Amino acid sequence: MSSLKGTFDQLERDVLAAMAKPKKSFWLALAVSSLMFAVGMGCWGWQIYKGLGVAGITNPVGWGVYITDFVFWVGIAHSGTLISAVLFLFRAKFRNSFNRTAEAMTIFAVMTAGLFPLIHLGRCWLFYWLFPYPNQRLLWVNFRSPLVWDVFAVSTYFTVSLIFWYVGMVPDLAIVRRYTTGVKQWIFRIFSLGWRGTRYQWEHYGKLYMFLAALATPLVISVHSVVSWDFAMSVVPGWHTTIFAPYFVAGAIFSGTAMVITLVVPMRRIFNLETYITVSHFESLAKILLFTSMIVTYSYIVEYVLAFYSGHEFEIAHFLYRSFGDYKYLYWLMLLCNSLLPLTIFVKKLRRNLTYLFILSLFVNVGMWLERFVIIVSSLAKDYDPYAWGTYTPTLIEAGITLGSFGMFFTFFLLFTKYLPVLSITEIKEISE
Amino acid sequence: MSKQWMFDEKADFLAKLRELVDGGVDPHDLETMTPFPVHEADHILHTRTSRLRFFTLAGTLTGLIAGFAFTIFTVMDWPLITGGKPLISLPPFLVIAFELTILLGGILSFVGFLALARLPSVKNVLQPPKEYGNRFVIQQRGEE
Amino acid sequence: MQRREFLKLMGIVSGGAVLSSCGEDPHKKLISHVVPREGEVPGMAALYPSTCTECGAGCGIWVRVRERNPFKLEGMPGHPINDGALCIRGQASLSRLLHPDRITAPRRRTNTGDYQDVSWEQAMADVEQALSESGGRQVYLAGRTTGSLAALIDEFCRTRSFDRAPEVERFNHEAIRFAGDALFGRKSVPQYHLAEADVLVSLGADLLETFVSPVNFARQFAAALEKEQRWYHLEPHFSLTGNRASRRLVIRPDSEPYLLAWLLRAVPARRDLPAAVAAAVPAVTAEAAARQTGLPVTVIEELRDALRASSNPLLLAGGVALAGNNGRLTAVLAALLQWSLDMVGRTVDYERHENYETVGGAADFAGLVDALSDKQIGVLLISRLYHLDHVPSLRDALCGARFRVGLTDFMYPPYDGCDVILPLSHSLESWDDVEPRHGVISLIKPVFRPLHDTLSEGDILLQMMNNGLNYRTYLARRWGTIGRELLDQGWVIRDTEETTPTLQAGAPPPVITIQEPPADKTLVVVPSLRTFDGRSRVLTLLHEIPDPIATITYGNWVTLSVADADTLGITDGQELDIRTSGAGLRLPVKTHPQLAAGRVMVHTDQLDGLALPRDASSGEPLGILPIDSWQATGTRIDVPILSGSFTGAVGRGILPHDKPHHGPAHGGDDHATEHPPATLYPPKEYSRYRWALAIDLDRCIGCSACVAACYIENNVAIVGPDEHRIGREMAWLRIEPHLSRDGRMFFIPVMCQHCENAPCEAVCPVYATYHGSEGLNQQVYNRCVGTRYCANNCPYKVRRFNWFDHEWPSPLNLMLNPDVSVRPKGVMEKCTFCIQRIRQGKDHAKDQGRQVKDGEFTTACAQSCPTGAITFGNLLDRSSRIYALAQSPRAYRLLEGIGTEPAVYYLSKKRENA
Repeated sequence: MSSLKGTFDQLERDVLAAMAKPKKSFWLALAVSSLMFAVGMGCWGWQIYKGLGVAGITNPVGWGVYITDFVFWVGIAHSGTLISAVLFLFRAKFRNSFNRTAEAMTIFAVMTAGLFPLIHLGRCWLFYWLFPYPNQRLLWVNFRSPLVWDVFAVSTYFTVSLIFWYVGMVPDLAIVRRYTTGVKQWIFRIFSLGWRGTRYQWEHYGKLYMFLAALATPLVISVHSVVSWDFAMSVVPGWHTTIFAPYFVAGAIFSGTAMVITLVVPMRRIFNLETYITVSHFESLAKILLFTSMIVTYSYIVEYVLAFYSGHEFEIAHFLYRSFGDYKYLYWLMLLCNSLLPLTIFVKKLRRNLTYLFILSLFVNVGMWLERFVIIVSSLAKDYDPYAWGTYTPTLIEAGITLGSFGMFFTFFLLFTKYLPVLSITEIKEISE
Repeated sequence: MSKQWMFDEKADFLAKLRELVDGGVDPHDLETMTPFPVHEADHILHTRTSRLRFFTLAGTLTGLIAGFAFTIFTVMDWPLITGGKPLISLPPFLVIAFELTILLGGILSFVGFLALARLPSVKNVLQPPKEYGNRFVIQQRGEE
Repeated sequence: MQRREFLKLMGIVSGGAVLSSCGEDPHKKLISHVVPREGEVPGMAALYPSTCTECGAGCGIWVRVRERNPFKLEGMPGHPINDGALCIRGQASLSRLLHPDRITAPRRRTNTGDYQDVSWEQAMADVEQALSESGGRQVYLAGRTTGSLAALIDEFCRTRSFDRAPEVERFNHEAIRFAGDALFGRKSVPQYHLAEADVLVSLGADLLETFVSPVNFARQFAAALEKEQRWYHLEPHFSLTGNRASRRLVIRPDSEPYLLAWLLRAVPARRDLPAAVAAAVPAVTAEAAARQTGLPVTVIEELRDALRASSNPLLLAGGVALAGNNGRLTAVLAALLQWSLDMVGRTVDYERHENYETVGGAADFAGLVDALSDKQIGVLLISRLYHLDHVPSLRDALCGARFRVGLTDFMYPPYDGCDVILPLSHSLESWDDVEPRHGVISLIKPVFRPLHDTLSEGDILLQMMNNGLNYRTYLARRWGTIGRELLDQGWVIRDTEETTPTLQAGAPPPVITIQEPPADKTLVVVPSLRTFDGRSRVLTLLHEIPDPIATITYGNWVTLSVADADTLGITDGQELDIRTSGAGLRLPVKTHPQLAAGRVMVHTDQLDGLALPRDASSGEPLGILPIDSWQATGTRIDVPILSGSFTGAVGRGILPHDKPHHGPAHGGDDHATEHPPATLYPPKEYSRYRWALAIDLDRCIGCSACVAACYIENNVAIVGPDEHRIGREMAWLRIEPHLSRDGRMFFIPVMCQHCENAPCEAVCPVYATYHGSEGLNQQVYNRCVGTRYCANNCPYKVRRFNWFDHEWPSPLNLMLNPDVSVRPKGVMEKCTFCIQRIRQGKDHAKDQGRQVKDGEFTTACAQSCPTGAITFGNLLDRSSRIYALAQSPRAYRLLEGIGTEPAVYYLSKKRENA
């Protein structure tokens, strides 16, 4: 019979095995993602030098791939917080095996997302003008603008998520320092703040965790609502609708959960964490995926019903264009990926098949990226004045920067898997007895 | 003279703790170290609820008030009409105030935690004390 | 540094500035003189009078000059030709002066066929040498010349023994002059008094686009609107002129003689025709006329009745109506009708005719062509020719001259192979005058010394006449007593000795049989609004601004009807191969909903070398060509078409009185000022000024003069075809063609609407755009970070983003308006209601301690409009024109249902389906 301590020691060894000397495949993956990142940075540099004209955005479609990427990455970030904070408040124990990874995903996704408002600016070297700092010219920002709300929401989200992630990691960093030596140990000692696990430390820690979770929950909802209001606060047909806030939040959780599955299925295999992340955990994630997919599908239906029921010429014209116009192939592909394919999760055998879930999650990610693209581009392409109607074709620069964003995300994520514990060891211990 | 007990099992640890407290030891003299929070220990030791909540409250209230105060101040300082909307536009300002509520609430909670948990402990970083790993430890401070 | 050093440095710098300002090129300096010229205040624009020479109409202009640089041309109010307006080509002509590709110095052709720059002494010496060695005839071949230069050329030809060839002009109105000569003994183009006519019937002539004096006609049209003139325009194709007429009648190409012959007999004559003439007119029944022209009998009877009931009618034929095989006949029949209905001497004015006497028809050049081919010409001097494709025999024979001297500003095709090129100064750098109409003399006065090493033609000729005069002195002598008035006013009207002609009794029209019009598909060659006959192609601005009919900017195309496109299975941008008279044309297609089936429109300057067949009697190139066969080639050419759709505007609140169904229930009432939309907010208060614009869609002809004026006034960048293909044109103001529910085409000028509840202002994160206290939507360039949310949120899509930095290749940068900043990349821009003019106007009024008066200043677009369609003013001034227009029952605003409360009012009569 193994003691609790013995189980815990084994747990620690298993998790920290992932932080051992990296294999060649790790270096290869890191090299590839770093290369992608570098390509993205190069493209951005070229864009700054030449001007935003090197991208495909134009009149009337003034926003394109960059804003799609922005909303995409912020959406992905949300699932992490859902798993960490919201499921914590619901006392869903199954969250504990992947909430660290999910939170890390949130941090890196928010960082990646946060670059895009800079990338899409015409004069990005003046990006700091979006922050309300006291200045010699006595200028302030326009708080009525949803873009300023974005600044506040995304900064808040990043800060609170970082605090939450870091605070959650402190006891685990204390564990890691036991297993390291030399410079590495110094680093872990500093970042674990001298944590000892005393009762009063745990007590305050527990309260902090709960308050942060309680604060993060409305934050999750508000941040993506604010991001969706970038569109809903405009007069553009197809954007100007009150359904956007819940629709986008559900969509965010949907795409984020898919990304969690995309990341954790291979990670579990590579690091041999099958004992700790079980098929049932994935099944629960799959159920979340299905549920949010159904909310998103419902939102699609409601959008159409509202448009036609309203009799609003411009809304009706827009929705006909969205389904049968220049971007119709993207639209129907999006429906396939977001609404139809996730329905297969109703089949128990499928939702317990990790390979199937992995492939499905890739489709969902593609579908959710397409959803944002279709909403942004098709609404702008044809709105009120027929003279101004036009189309948008992304250029290689935009593809390069999108590629670079994935490179950035995966670079950070790979480094995370190597240098930080990928499971929340402490929380798994908490539920193991 | 301080005493120390180490256990591999949580049940043993709790039993000893109960025994000590029932035996009349002052809970304030007892210090425990565990690999994860053990709520039963809190019960046994009759601890007071953490005072962290005051930090959180202070943070959120400051954020809320600051949100409205700042936005209204800037708009009165530089009154520009945009889109025919009134100068003091409460719905947008509410969004800002909401975000600031969460932000300052989170930051102040974190600061409060550091203060209350007495972290970072420079002494412990520079001269790390004994590591107990996954054992449950009770330490009793003795009188000198 | 120490104070002493600082003062020393300042002393040197200012001394240097004074010294350097003597004799050095003023254009190298931002402020050209430390001590300005008398009467000039640095920072304040000076106005110089002159005349536009981009085409031959002779519109008077004021040139706005700052620190010695002209940066804007404006029509001269009161001028007899254009009365304050200026067309799209006139506005763009400023860029001709500063064009980087202008010839900057005399050139001599080397043995290898290249050109090398030489000095004037060398070039003139070469010319003199050629003249002395010539051993043959010497010929002077020029484009249409009027005024003192024409007199000087005559004198020169006499003195230096040159033969003066007929003048070359693509649009020589040969048929009109033939008819005038045959019937009245006047081989000239009469002046048409449109404004005085109560019924106007025009066949084919694109009066408002390029025909003779389009700005003048546009002005007259505007005046005639007050009098409720009935204007019938008959054309086989679609033109801006036809669209603007009260009734546009689509007639079968080259079938006009049937209609005119019938009208001659159907409408009772008011002046008798000689019996021989009357008998010679073909007898055409109403049914035959209707059948041949394709017009219903009721319509031609309506024409007859209108003419019969009119008290002062005007009927004229020109342009496309005279371009078929029946061209001369149509002109003659039209002239007969003019006589018969007593128009000659009243609305058809031969006394103050347009000056086209010296212009040659194709046949007039036969002698010269023969002489050239026989190598009889020793020296050929050509001046101000743009192309000779309409006289291919002459074009090909030019090389027969032993020595060719070319006077020009650009290397147009006729100058290929010239031995010496003498570069001409632009009219803005020269002294001169023009007499576009008999008795109307318009001044040309230079703004500065020639930018390059060029001379005016007058100075060149006087040099060669060796009499020591310069052209300025020559002009002064020639003007004599009218000189003072000419210099003061910019124009003079002189008495004419001409008299009203009478019908020559013994003059039966030589051609009287009507030739069969083309049966089926025809190619209709039309003049180009933007490039006239192609001469203005060198001006890039005119390519940047779209042709209003097709909304295509760069490139060549043909216009096709929707029905034909369906039959051919061809869509916009796909290439069509047309076979006509044994030759072929391959161009991409643009469909137009108003073009009738069976007609393909192509511009005169886009024929791509297609050799046009000739009229049998006159030798003029035909413009109505039967199409033998046509088919889609399958190639797709990416033509930059700026409009997304011509037909999508119905029911959207863009067309007049055409609200979306869901809109607020106003019943039939579209008054912007009654029933304001429901709002949560208190109404806005304005204290002294509230700027607004009114655009009269019943006057707008779609000519795009306003667009060109806006480009030049506001330093708007020219971006080129690649950017246009993806939709990145920078135009702040654009002409949107929209098809209405009842099948009429509206040209709607759209610019920033300066909405009171502007959707763009609320979403800018940095306050780069906000609402000013006088109703303007202000854009602050240096605050803009370029998020482009404002452009996304604008329902009118009038905001333009700078995707790249823009260049103004030298010397075009001299044309930049110093009052308007040049925007860098990453910054949003849009129409500002010419805020620089508003500022100046207000400052001026403030200096005088008063409010701005209505009409004291106006926006660039309003100022240039030939029909006065755009009105700018202060809505708070109840006596202002803008206030009256905004209250008119004709007023509506674009997309009112959104609730933006725009400050631009559009006016259009409410029509029952007509």
